[in-house]
Amino acid sequence: MTRTPTQAVQAFLDALARHDVDAAMAVTAPRVVVTVHPFGINDDGADVLRSVLTDLVQSFPDLMISVSRVIATGDVVTALFRAEGTQAAGYAGAINQEKHLDIDQAWRFAVTDGLITRADAYWCQAQLYRRLAVKRYDEIAIA
Amino acid sequence: MTETAQRPRTAESAAEVVAGFFERYRAHDVEGMTDLCSINADFSYVPVELWGKQRVLRGDGKVRTVGKPLWAGLIASFPDLSVTVHTVTGNDEGDVVAQVDIEGTQERPWGLVAPSGLHYREPHLFIFRVGADLLIDSITAYWNDAGISRQLGHHEVD
Repeated sequence: MTRTPTQAVQAFLDALARHDVDAAMAVTAPRVVVTVHPFGINDDGADVLRSVLTDLVQSFPDLMISVSRVIATGDVVTALFRAEGTQAAGYAGAINQEKHLDIDQAWRFAVTDGLITRADAYWCQAQLYRRLAVKRYDEIAIA
Repeated sequence: MTETAQRPRTAESAAEVVAGFFERYRAHDVEGMTDLCSINADFSYVPVELWGKQRVLRGDGKVRTVGKPLWAGLIASFPDLSVTVHTVTGNDEGDVVAQVDIEGTQERPWGLVAPSGLHYREPHLFIFRVGADLLIDSITAYWNDAGISRQLGHHEVD
């Protein structure tokens, strides 16, 4: 039985909360279109999304995902959640200073036949860099 | 009573309210934008946070007390401010999600960003809740403020 769009996205979020990237990718189409606005990523392919998720869970080993809302509008599902964790490796160009991260974000998913075919991620990179003690956008790796 | 108030709330009518909101935004009609919101409509611009020595000011509150001044200030700083709506999806409960680009050329200070004459264009995601009376009950928006700062030549993480 095919998952509903909400079920597919909920499965993705549950997997991410467990740091289980393989399970998250299991509800994702092979040619998923991925746009991660803060990273300037606009590409397609499961490997793109896998890389984004893997970087996150590896850089923040104690990552917690707290979902506040899941909004279904037809085949589009929008999830609002907070990602929290302590940095343990370089992330988004920022060196590891063991800072705590808490970032509210919104992901808009399109779902077809029970699989996520498009993911658009929105969060504020200024908030992220502020929490990771980055001082300048043009010198991100310098603490 | 206005014509819209007599119509039932459906995914389509809620999306039409949001389309009207962005039309007024594009026209810099802040009063008109506010008129489409209920008197106590909630407002949250998630990326807005100004860090002071003892507290952090956030872009959370009500449309009339927080949203309206923010919209007016943005238009004053970027007089050619424009809004491009890419997608709008809604449901019969009044939830509407819109992918929107906002762009403009800076002529006055915006936050801690000094006027540079530079132009920015940044994708935004808006989440609206439209009430049964076809007035907007809440507005939440996400975007990457670092993208705006960098485009405006402001490279400090404030």
